[in-house]
Amino acid sequence: MPTEPFQIAGSIEDALSAMATGARPVAGGTDLVVGARQGKSPLPSNLVAVDRIVELSTIEQNAEGVIVGAGVTHATLMTDPLITSGYTALADAAALVGSPATRNVGTLGGNVMNGSPAMDTGAPLIVLGAMIDLRSQGGSRRVAPSKLWTGPGSTSASDDELCVAVALPKRSERSGSAYVRLEYRRAMEIAVVGAAASVELNDEGVIEQVAIALTAVAPTIVALEGLTDLVGRRVDEDVLAAVAAIASSQAQPISDLRAGADYRAHTVGVMARRAVDAAARRAAGETIEVPVNRAEGVGRTDRP
Amino acid sequence: MTDTVDQSVQDGRRRFVRADGPDKVTGSGRYTADLQLAGMLHAKFLYAGTARGRIRRLDVEPARRVPGVLAVLTDADVPDVRYSPGVADRRLFARGTVRFEGEIVAAVAATTPEAASAAISAIELELEPLPPITDPEAALSEDSPLVHPDWADYDADEGVVRSGNTASFSSLSRGDAASAMAKAETVLSSRYVADGCHAVPIEPRAIVAQWEGEKLTVWTSTQVPFDARAGICETLGLPTNRVRVVVPHLGGGFGGKCGFHFEAHIAALARAAKRPVKLVFTRAEEFLAPDRRREGMTIELTSGLDGDGRIVARQGRLVLDGGAYLADKAFFPQLAAMQATGPYQIPNLEVEAHLVYTNHQPAGSVRAPTAPQGCWAVESHTDELAAAIGMDPVRFRQVNGLDTGTTGPTGQVYDAIGLQDCIDTATSMLDPTSETADDEAYGVAVGWWPSFSSPSGAYVKIDDDGKGQIITGAQECGTGAVMTLRQLAADEVGLQPEDFELVYQDTSAAPFDMGATGSQTLFNNGRAVVAAASQLADQLKELAANRLEASASDIVLADGHASVTGTPSVTVPITELAGEAAGGALLLGHGSSPELAYPTGTATCVGDQGMSAWLSPQFSCHVVKVRLDRDTGVARVTNVAAAHDSGRILNHTGALGQVHGGIMMGIGQALTEGTVYDDQGKQRNAMLLEYKLQTAADGPAINVEFIESYPGEGPAGAKGLAEAPNVATAAAVSNALAKLAGRPIRQMPMTAERVWNELKPSPSNNDTSITEEGR
Repeated sequence: MPTEPFQIAGSIEDALSAMATGARPVAGGTDLVVGARQGKSPLPSNLVAVDRIVELSTIEQNAEGVIVGAGVTHATLMTDPLITSGYTALADAAALVGSPATRNVGTLGGNVMNGSPAMDTGAPLIVLGAMIDLRSQGGSRRVAPSKLWTGPGSTSASDDELCVAVALPKRSERSGSAYVRLEYRRAMEIAVVGAAASVELNDEGVIEQVAIALTAVAPTIVALEGLTDLVGRRVDEDVLAAVAAIASSQAQPISDLRAGADYRAHTVGVMARRAVDAAARRAAGETIEVPVNRAEGVGRTDRP
Repeated sequence: MTDTVDQSVQDGRRRFVRADGPDKVTGSGRYTADLQLAGMLHAKFLYAGTARGRIRRLDVEPARRVPGVLAVLTDADVPDVRYSPGVADRRLFARGTVRFEGEIVAAVAATTPEAASAAISAIELELEPLPPITDPEAALSEDSPLVHPDWADYDADEGVVRSGNTASFSSLSRGDAASAMAKAETVLSSRYVADGCHAVPIEPRAIVAQWEGEKLTVWTSTQVPFDARAGICETLGLPTNRVRVVVPHLGGGFGGKCGFHFEAHIAALARAAKRPVKLVFTRAEEFLAPDRRREGMTIELTSGLDGDGRIVARQGRLVLDGGAYLADKAFFPQLAAMQATGPYQIPNLEVEAHLVYTNHQPAGSVRAPTAPQGCWAVESHTDELAAAIGMDPVRFRQVNGLDTGTTGPTGQVYDAIGLQDCIDTATSMLDPTSETADDEAYGVAVGWWPSFSSPSGAYVKIDDDGKGQIITGAQECGTGAVMTLRQLAADEVGLQPEDFELVYQDTSAAPFDMGATGSQTLFNNGRAVVAAASQLADQLKELAANRLEASASDIVLADGHASVTGTPSVTVPITELAGEAAGGALLLGHGSSPELAYPTGTATCVGDQGMSAWLSPQFSCHVVKVRLDRDTGVARVTNVAAAHDSGRILNHTGALGQVHGGIMMGIGQALTEGTVYDDQGKQRNAMLLEYKLQTAADGPAINVEFIESYPGEGPAGAKGLAEAPNVATAAAVSNALAKLAGRPIRQMPMTAERVWNELKPSPSNNDTSITEEGR
């Protein structure tokens, strides 16, 4: 097919101006191009490449926390010290995306705006309290992920809005986070189900705050409700069993090629308890290598 | 291109880098899809899209009106030919009926792929859908509708036993299984169901066809260029000498590119359009259209043991989901019966195997056809037998397994075989009785596979500079078999492998070879190359005898020189002799592989397809260590030890690659690879995201040993090799999983969800199909 204009934006303003006239943004292309090849939806005829915009590829710390540019790749997220130390769940997730090739070009902004309920970085962003920065020629706004994702592959962003950054709020010293997913193989995989957890402990090792979000068990990534009973308790077998039960009961999975609904409902509970366990251990100061899926469990990488 | 041939001989093993390796890893190699010809058009097919139906209306006129379209073909535009080996049940294009979703209804050639796609969309096809026949068991019942209502009118080989939806039936019978079973101390029955799966070569197939006058050249990604040529000639009515089939580098096959497929469609389009035409498959087409899926199979086995734990009788019934057309698999039932029998001493045997037509994609040869499933079933059954009498499963195999001088289940007597060595070696490399963590277990399985004799030819020449060429009909599909021919030729004439270049994969340049199928390349073409090169050796010795004033019988060819035996100082470089020959009789050799005598057995066979006794049989034992996440059913193979008797190993590096690859394929079949159908007989996971191949990241630690003490009848004592490593792995994984789950997982692939269903407390888990009698 004859291609329409393909523009390469040098700045956010360039990109926004192209998008104002109907161009769709492309960064790594790992969703857009693969989707087109699979026949999901044809490649947009009017594209603006945003992968060379320097402002989009920075990770900056400020008083409120960390601002991650939308163009930051998964390969960077999984190794950047700011992310692996303070926002470890996001590093866990980024390290599981696709293959090394996918991670080298795929971006956080692309993952966020693709809006897949199976996206790996989604559940971490929710439990870490992330906010998504959108910009258009009309202005800027900051939106919660739960308000951004409206259904499988759909968002509340308008066509001329570009995701420019993800804002991660500052974390306390005694907090930890983790993302764990169910996978049938160790590369080129998509989450069958997954769970992220953020746990903050007090000086006595008792839960002060806990957040859990689930992957691939509902039309969007969902945060668990009804976790207040866990606050004030130690992370023990009873708490973990309660986490699994809450996750399984709040999941609304479908049956598809990857798994049946019963299996998903059960295993998302397993993932949730593992995520809380790992997050709590990290909060208590234990080092668990990124990603958790390669550090422990059946998918762990054995080091001789 | 640097030709990095490592001639080092370490611990007696020869290792060298394959000649096509640098091209393939640097990207300088060219594949069929890379070809561009002046004026070339692009082809697309219209597929049935429905598993079973009647064509009510087919109007291609709207397609012809699409700009850029130069040819549109249907059944009406090609010769009226029904073809296919075994049973002629196939046409190039659907006529009246469609029998699987990937059946081709029409083909289009246009100036761009997009115009061709638009033309396909413009074709008006009205299909009356019929209820698809998808369950092979139900298809066997007398009141089932027929996939081929006119089956009785089809031309067929006399040996193929068929009726109704039974495309091919075979049995093996020896002794008196029924009465031996009645007297057995322990009798145990098992039932296993394997889903179909795919070969999944990384290169989706591509074809380019070009006519020059009445002569046709077809570049195609096939494993069997001569078979492709034969198919083109049969369906388009052409003499073989006007058709040239060339295969550029082939990007893998695994059996999926065996057989004649789409070459004639593209040649017919090119003739109609009067332009070269190119076809390049999408990944989805690669899954859906070829008739080379690995067959789904149901295996029911009953075995009787005596008081010493010896197998005294085995009865079996196998049902193979053959799909809509017979393709190349008339012999599959008997091969499956051999697999489900296993490499054991069993005096009384009764196995019947039904290959059944259904409205699924046709099955066909995929690496070791019938073997991973048959071995998985029989070896899982073997562990159940050992457990039933409380015998160690390795000991059970040592007691019952074949050995030198023993008689196999079909009465073949084995003179010198390495099965017991394979068991001893693999279990010492990875001891299945050693301690494991609670979430880990070992599994052991043995496997067997034949070698195949076939006509095959080659020319070898040495030019004036002492450098040679091997012009061979053999096809390289990635195994390295063709690459190893250089070593055989070099050894005959005292040169180095890198002194020879290969001219191959061109039916007009070289004599016949059966192709990259049945692990036969080196076994047969190797003998042809040795025969051809030995003629050159004789010629060189004559020339050297004149030069050195010695008898030709005293000349030794080694290290690039001809010398007089016992007097190494009397020597002449082969380059000099080659220069002399270039001014005279030339250094030319030709060879072919004489058909080897097949062994016989004493079993009675209905529908005999020549598979009941095996030439140069190969044996293997795989031990695996599996880790299981009991909360999710996710399993992972962490270690594999593999011992193989495939005769003498000619290239250790290449042989290791074959075993590593076979093991990875076996793990995929065991755990993650299986075709999922909807209730209309259509594949749901015809894509790489949902059809889960194992990746490099999933690879276990693999240790391999070759048992080389039992030479085969191939060149220098070789047997086949490419398929044997794909036999026993899935079975070994099954036996490890059964220990971890507490019961066998009776459906393959043994996916996480299937394992979890066996693990979770549920009343249905008591509903096992095992019956144990006589204890």
